Amino acid sequence: MRDRARSGKLAADFFTENYRISGCLDVRSRKLADQLDDRTSSFLCLEDVYVSDAEHPGDIVASHVEAIVRKGRIVAAVVACEEDGLSRKYTYGSYTGSHVQRAFLIVPSFQIRGYLRLPGKGDLRAALAGGDAFVPVIDAEMRLSAQPGIRFAGGIILVNRAQIEALCKEEEPSRG
Amino acid sequence: MARILVVDDDPDLLELIKLLVEGRREHEAVLCADGEDALTRARRDPPDMAIVDVMMPGMTGYEICRRLREHPETALMPILVLTARGQAVDREAALRAGADEHIPKPVSMATLLDHIDSLLKRRSKENESSVVVIGSLKGGVGVTTLAANLGATMARLGSGEVCLVDLCSSSGHAALQFGCRPEPDWTALLQGETVDLDRVEPLLLQPVPALHVLASPMVPLLEDELSRPATSALLETIRRRFQLVIVDAPSTMNGAASAAMEAANAIWLVVCPDSASIQTTLGTLRALREPSAKITLILNHVTTAHQISTNTVERVLNRRLEGIVPFDPEQAKALGRGTPLAIMSPDSPLPRAVQELARGSLL
Repeated sequence: MRDRARSGKLAADFFTENYRISGCLDVRSRKLADQLDDRTSSFLCLEDVYVSDAEHPGDIVASHVEAIVRKGRIVAAVVACEEDGLSRKYTYGSYTGSHVQRAFLIVPSFQIRGYLRLPGKGDLRAALAGGDAFVPVIDAEMRLSAQPGIRFAGGIILVNRAQIEALCKEEEPSRG
Repeated sequence: MARILVVDDDPDLLELIKLLVEGRREHEAVLCADGEDALTRARRDPPDMAIVDVMMPGMTGYEICRRLREHPETALMPILVLTARGQAVDREAALRAGADEHIPKPVSMATLLDHIDSLLKRRSKENESSVVVIGSLKGGVGVTTLAANLGATMARLGSGEVCLVDLCSSSGHAALQFGCRPEPDWTALLQGETVDLDRVEPLLLQPVPALHVLASPMVPLLEDELSRPATSALLETIRRRFQLVIVDAPSTMNGAASAAMEAANAIWLVVCPDSASIQTTLGTLRALREPSAKITLILNHVTTAHQISTNTVERVLNRRLEGIVPFDPEQAKALGRGTPLAIMSPDSPLPRAVQELARGSLL
């Protein structure tokens, strides 16, 4: 009884600087990361959309059957299962030999902790300089900076690379 | 076999849950694709439990929970929220709206079935007769007010026939809370050997439909009081006749209080946020021989005066407070009118807190 029970639709939470937008999107055979990184469209089409203020993320302030969200304004997308979010190109062994680094990221309104997969010896610059628009952070947790008690956890959080203000290595044993 | 209301706008998921509960447990699934239809059907023929999605067009699952809780027929029905909004804040929102459980999607069929079984088990436990003792060994902490409001709430919510037994031998006030003169009272049972329904039934007052009160004497008893064996027999007799028995316990640990505690399924121990009450409660918790799981600790604010904080009360008692009843300015008016707030103004803070406690205590 996965989210995919909705015939190829995936439920996810999209966070802009001030809002939480929960919705379903038709991913068909593609992963969420592939859709976010698809440069042929600047928008993401969502169905069954529920909107909450980021500061009161449990309270639904509006709901609509359809919505489009500007990808560039998405700070991060939270998905329950890593496999539903991670790009296909990363799921078939391309990470062999990569370095898993616990990291702390600062983005507008939020702080994110989780694991980055970095090539080679784990140079952080690789995460910021890569080609994809969204950086996958695995086994991640995101906190609202103004109210750290408000937390969102996901098997994967896709963070908008252009919105990352700071990226820090954290001192925990790596999982790799 | 139970009737389970399933509300989700996804027809595939509805069918999947129908297959699960009808195929694996022989329950009956009542499927609804939207909130309005679900509410109409729940009110027309209340189900044994509901499984509700949150993200649906029109009415959200939270709104459905709130409206089910407002209606007496479905106010105590177990509700499981099954949703893709699976964050901690969503769990809080679901519980705040009145859900008993919040299960994030994706969920395995086995896990979902476990939760359904567990909620239905709770429901069947609720349907057995229960004895709840409300007490404190310090007077003036609002025990009788809580007992009267619990009785009125449960009667109003249609939880079967309720009996409120006032065991205070030093002039109890349970009947007065309902504007009734406490006559007859249980002193008639002090004479004679046996306590049976034929002797008890004529002593019961009925201030509101579905609620009966066994009053204590208006004039304090100086010598005779209900013995431990007589109280056990009395509660056993009443329990056979009523769905719920609420005991307003005396503020002394006499034979009647001990027998009531022993017979109880749940003991609501009431504490006020002041030093004397906390000290008494600390001693009571040490002295009570009843299993800890039976005891629900309730903080009752009977004044607006500056008082000890909730955290401090929990720290001193070394125990979590299961319920907090806020000060309700309307209570003085309710006492004056002889009508419990649960009847006079059921949406005011005190009755709402009592209803919440009742739900948490599986009554």
